[in-house]
Amino acid sequence: MNSPAVAPPLLMPGPGSPWSRVRQSMAWHGHVVVHAEWRDWLPATLADPTLRPLLGPRDWQRLHALTDPQARDRFAASRLLLKYTAGAALQTPPDAVELASKAGGRPYLRGCDQIEVSLSHTGDLLVVGLNRRGRIGVDTERADRRIQYSAVERHLCTPDERRRLAALSPKELQHDLVHTWVLKEAYTKALGQGMRMGFTQFGFDAGHSTLLTPQGAPASHGEWSFATFELSGGHLVGVACHDAGYGDEGDTAVSTMLDEGFLGEVVDLVGRAAR
Amino acid sequence: MTPHTPAGPAPAHAATAHREAAPAPNPTTGRGAARVVAAPDTPTPAARPVATPGTLAPAAHPDTRRRPVRLEQRFGDPGHPANTSEPPSAHAATVTETTRREAAPAAHPDVRVRAARLERLFGDPGDPVNPVGFRALLGADSDGELLAQAEELLEGEGFGAELVPVFLGGRLHDADGLVRMLRPVFRRDIALGFGYGITSLFAAAPVFAAGSEEQRASVARLLASGGRAAIVHRSLAHGTAMLRGEVDAMPHGEDYLLRGRKDVVINAERAGAVVAHVRTDPAPGPAAHSVLLLDPDRLRDNGLRLLPRRPTTGMRGCRFAGYEFEDCRVPSDALVGAEGSGVRLALRTFQLNRTLITGAVIASVDTVLRSAVRTALAAGTLKKRQRGVLAGVFADLLAGDSCATAVLRALSLLPHSAHLAAAGLKYLVPDLLRDDLEELATVLGAGGYRRDTDQGMLSKLLRDLPAAGLGHAGTASCQAVVIPQLPLLARASWTTEPEPPPALFAPDARVPALDLAALQVAGGGDFLAAALDAATTRLTENGTPGPYGDILRTLATAFRNALLDLRDSCRAVEPGDRAALTSPVMPALADRHAVLSVAGAALATWEQHSDGFLADPAWLALALHRLGRRLGLTLPSLPTPCVDHVTDELLTRFTTGHSFDLTNAPLAEAGTP
Repeated sequence: MNSPAVAPPLLMPGPGSPWSRVRQSMAWHGHVVVHAEWRDWLPATLADPTLRPLLGPRDWQRLHALTDPQARDRFAASRLLLKYTAGAALQTPPDAVELASKAGGRPYLRGCDQIEVSLSHTGDLLVVGLNRRGRIGVDTERADRRIQYSAVERHLCTPDERRRLAALSPKELQHDLVHTWVLKEAYTKALGQGMRMGFTQFGFDAGHSTLLTPQGAPASHGEWSFATFELSGGHLVGVACHDAGYGDEGDTAVSTMLDEGFLGEVVDLVGRAAR
Repeated sequence: MTPHTPAGPAPAHAATAHREAAPAPNPTTGRGAARVVAAPDTPTPAARPVATPGTLAPAAHPDTRRRPVRLEQRFGDPGHPANTSEPPSAHAATVTETTRREAAPAAHPDVRVRAARLERLFGDPGDPVNPVGFRALLGADSDGELLAQAEELLEGEGFGAELVPVFLGGRLHDADGLVRMLRPVFRRDIALGFGYGITSLFAAAPVFAAGSEEQRASVARLLASGGRAAIVHRSLAHGTAMLRGEVDAMPHGEDYLLRGRKDVVINAERAGAVVAHVRTDPAPGPAAHSVLLLDPDRLRDNGLRLLPRRPTTGMRGCRFAGYEFEDCRVPSDALVGAEGSGVRLALRTFQLNRTLITGAVIASVDTVLRSAVRTALAAGTLKKRQRGVLAGVFADLLAGDSCATAVLRALSLLPHSAHLAAAGLKYLVPDLLRDDLEELATVLGAGGYRRDTDQGMLSKLLRDLPAAGLGHAGTASCQAVVIPQLPLLARASWTTEPEPPPALFAPDARVPALDLAALQVAGGGDFLAAALDAATTRLTENGTPGPYGDILRTLATAFRNALLDLRDSCRAVEPGDRAALTSPVMPALADRHAVLSVAGAALATWEQHSDGFLADPAWLALALHRLGRRLGLTLPSLPTPCVDHVTDELLTRFTTGHSFDLTNAPLAEAGTP
């Protein structure tokens, strides 16, 4: 029972990354978080004839609506990282996966709800999370990002968190604040709401692992796991990982998702009708 | 392992031959066939249930209007002629249960009247002293049990008979009517709806569809008398715990020997009948499975072992336990229908399950939307963003209900083609509703984490809804029905099929009785796509006056163009090409198809309403706009008053205590501020 609630992020610096590690983490932990520097994915994005099918028509349009070349490259790299990672989990080619958004903006893989996805970037870093047990949200910030507490405390922190933070030294306070921040971003992204969900409506404990009400009482029944990770380049990654409790068997491949009995019966009947 | 002699254990008996007319009291609950009198339905004063001593011990509520009152205070002299026509409330009825249980309830023949009565009996769910209100239901959920008083109330109403087809002596006439009866239950507790009721119907449906006369009668008796039936599924692709594991059946002389286990079976501990989907042929293929009707009481200690209860994340009040079969011998007359027909029977009956679940959970989300409205209003006037969220979710409920209602009626009206729409409905609408719940979380804020008020129903439903839908395994089983039909629909149906009968979408349409045996499992066209096509043609050719004319034309045309794109994509796939059908392109096409189906149902429903709010284009425009975003369409903005207009109707229904679905039905809290 000592396995971590959230698996540490895996570095995937390009299309030739060890994608079997993604499948292994999905099978073992139920989720995976990968990260990369977008520049490492540049060769795959620059003038690649496969980029257009990889992005799909909608993201291709979005790419060309971006005027800043750096923003364009980063956008393309983020989509490639997500599609390669999802393709690894679904055991499909990366361009076969359609990345879409729900009405509220939450990204999802159209037709493939065996995994949920989340995406974040800051500076040079891209982070992608996949989960087969429920919702997932990832967020990243510079670990040394300075946050002026007095300016944000009433927008960012619950009364319970403010009590906790008041007892900390300035250095500890900064450390705690940025960890709290990325987790709040990760959780609200997992809910598909982002900033629309007020950050003072929920909080975290001192260990940044438990969801609490503003008054500090437990707010979930154990279906949520949270963790933060400091990466070597000075980035902090927050992960909110949900377990809906399906008790599934861990197969996320597209090729096996249609039940052989149902498919066989319907194919037979349709075939007969067509003749 | 059970010692196994060469002759094998003595054959235990199938449920058919030996089921008693009235089951013995259940050993787990101590309840069984207990029934109470329910007199013919008559209008009653707002029947807010009262606290029964010892059932819930709330402190005296500061608001005197909400304090418990004694029965005679509320209902007057029980001997008074005005008070003799109906038990004052189910909670009171249980007090006199021992003296009155013998007589059968005389139920009103109109399900709408019965549903309204059930709603009244449950009372204002927000009342903290209501023993079957949200506070008590959340408490029971924390304890991992169904609320006993709520089960007693349903038992008192003879709710089990709602799950038994009319031709077998029950009250189930059609699926649309049953959903009306389910909504008062589901708006309070999904787990109660599943654990008390509909899983028994899901188990029983193959028997009702294809069982022998004797089998049908025995299961009908069991359900009508308040007993439970449990279902042992076969192992499905990408199965969850409930769908994983399989029972094998091996011919053994005139009998079958069963071997295998299923760890997660709802109501395993208290089922009076088990409907098991077992593998009778080791070779793969659609004819490898059969359905058996088993009597667990007789098989226990004869090769059937009950596995311990498993706690679950969602529907925690339901009792999930398991069965293990170890060379368990059952006679061959336990077979339901023909050997090898298990998959087809599942396909036939799952379309009912899928449609009922979706139709019922619309009421569950109604509760959270209502709570969000209450929370937002408590803070003053609604902010613009809040109006957007609340109106948007309301529009989704109406669109989802348009589709659910059409498919519920199609099960009676179009039994050849309901399978496709049922799979699309179940694939998409619960997912939309789950997203809606999370959207409502932004309005409820911290209140959503509470464990003692209606606001806390958000967190409960966020746990319960995935469990009710079975997650990816549930959607994948729907995709397995839809995907192989898409190439043929593209060639033979879309844009050429005539539109379906208006009764699918018209307000208060009555439909013929549900005939499970008539349901087909493939082919038969796509009536929702036909509805989309026909409605779009009318909109573009005749036009719609008023400020919504342009936007509706634009939206409908965009959906029809999406249908044409879908047709082109699906025409590129050969019907029956297994490799192409299991490629990752197909699930995305099936997703688009489901969105178009809901859009078609919403359009046709709006067209069929000639007065009232549902004839107003505002809700339709908002619903289609949200569906269009899900489809990835680039759409113009909605007219400015659209959201406000939908919000106004939402607030009217909230204030007057009416449901946020197509029926606009009065709720128990009507008149309660």
